[in-house]
Amino acid sequence: MTQTVQIIILGLSLGGVFALMASGLTLIFGVMGIINLAHAAFIILASFITFGLFKYFALDPILSIVIVMPVMFIVGVAVYRIFFARSIADPNKRGVTVLLTFAIALVIEGTLGFLFSNIYRSTSPSYASSAILFGPYYLPEAQFYATILSAVILIGLWAFLQYTRTGYAIRATMHNRTAAEVVGVNVDRISMLVFGIGMALAGASGAMVSFLFSVYPSKHWEFVAILLSLVVLGGMGSLLGALVGALVLSVAAAFVSSYYGPVWSPVTFYLALFTILLFRPQGLMGKKAEF
Amino acid sequence: MAILDISGIVAGYGAGPDILKGLSLAIEPERSYCVIGPNGAGKSTLLKVICGLVPAREGAVVFEGDRLNGLRTDEILHRGICFVPQDRSLFPDMTIRENLRMGGYILKDRREVDRRIEEVYGMFPILKERNSQLAKTLSGGQQQMLLIGRALVLRPRIIMLDEPSLGLAPIVSRQIFDSMNTLKAAGITIIVVEQNARMGLQFADWGCVLDLGKAMFEGPSASILEDPRIEELYLGRRRSRAGADA
Repeated sequence: MTQTVQIIILGLSLGGVFALMASGLTLIFGVMGIINLAHAAFIILASFITFGLFKYFALDPILSIVIVMPVMFIVGVAVYRIFFARSIADPNKRGVTVLLTFAIALVIEGTLGFLFSNIYRSTSPSYASSAILFGPYYLPEAQFYATILSAVILIGLWAFLQYTRTGYAIRATMHNRTAAEVVGVNVDRISMLVFGIGMALAGASGAMVSFLFSVYPSKHWEFVAILLSLVVLGGMGSLLGALVGALVLSVAAAFVSSYYGPVWSPVTFYLALFTILLFRPQGLMGKKAEF
Repeated sequence: MAILDISGIVAGYGAGPDILKGLSLAIEPERSYCVIGPNGAGKSTLLKVICGLVPAREGAVVFEGDRLNGLRTDEILHRGICFVPQDRSLFPDMTIRENLRMGGYILKDRREVDRRIEEVYGMFPILKERNSQLAKTLSGGQQQMLLIGRALVLRPRIIMLDEPSLGLAPIVSRQIFDSMNTLKAAGITIIVVEQNARMGLQFADWGCVLDLGKAMFEGPSASILEDPRIEELYLGRRRSRAGADA
């Protein structure tokens, strides 16, 4: 029993971070219909920025979020303007954006590999190696902070989408792009903003990834597969779906890892991906079809 | 003087062929128009050009002396021209109130939007009853009312409706046309594209027949309804004699 609860605790805490990692991916898909295969590459890019700030300025990775998020927001806006603004305006070209994101992922990976080589890196703040004990249970301190921070950012994002005028416009564009245009939403600007927000979220998660995992430039392939599986489980474009998908799959993966060994843990995500695509392709909370 | 002057419009989608091929039409204030014509004649495209969703390749759309070409949809909305598209373009997972609030998106004053939503509720009490229901739970007719209500939040000068009766039962279509009559009485200029040409022409003061991307004929609705050529070509004549040949 104790072991089961312990596994759930570890799974949920990692799930919170995965949810944050996936939130940008699902938001960008929801608004623009772009499956951003480069999302995890941007997360790794943010990890490297965090690593640089830690190494050269001794800046704490959690604190560095206040720098990394705005930087990644600007990167997102620029990437949108340069690569996506024209292609998503034309429905015939929308299909090729997935290839474009694939290319961007390769370029980021290649550039990081060229500049920093493909060795493992991670930031090592003091809390990265200690754990919080409560009763018979424990939680690595780093994971604890990362979970809390992810929750705070996700709640902030939810409140922004739910209560602000821009949030309304983003949700409206997600629901029905034409209808949003008809009521006067500048969907191009909203798309640009959402790409920026998506990248800022990738930035925040990248900062946390820097002390939760060891990162190297090609690590993003592993991440993007996991993120896609939990976004598909939750329903593409659904923020709540991404959260549920992340929590469910992280706990499942923690169980698999504990009983069958860590090697099998990633398989959990792929199995879930296959199963969900076979039996409920729209995901747990995705919309079936527009009306 | 025309409130909306459309002259020599050439337009199409993306890199595709021209759908509108030099269409000209003058819209008089406080008059209601019904645009009819076969599929592919460019009826919906005309409305989309006016509200800035599809750019015109040539020609001009002038609203009260003010050229609309090149303006964004929100800028055109600010001038009081609203569009109710054909495909039930609601926000399905938002409540009715949120949908109406989106109707007033371009207005910054939220209290003013709430006041106007109350006006819309006055016109469509059913929407008020279902205030906090999700839009996707409404029937087809109620969704159409919500679409019209959403446009009314801006108190438009001109309202353009693309096939408002599409997919609705006849009795529900009649309700929708009844509410459009109320708009007409309130002095709003209406342009309606309607597949059910008879119903549309009976509602409107003025009819316009579009074919091959041009306005082929326009005139008072009554005269169009009675014109035997137009009846044969566009209204689906009840073939008393020809029926025997077929």
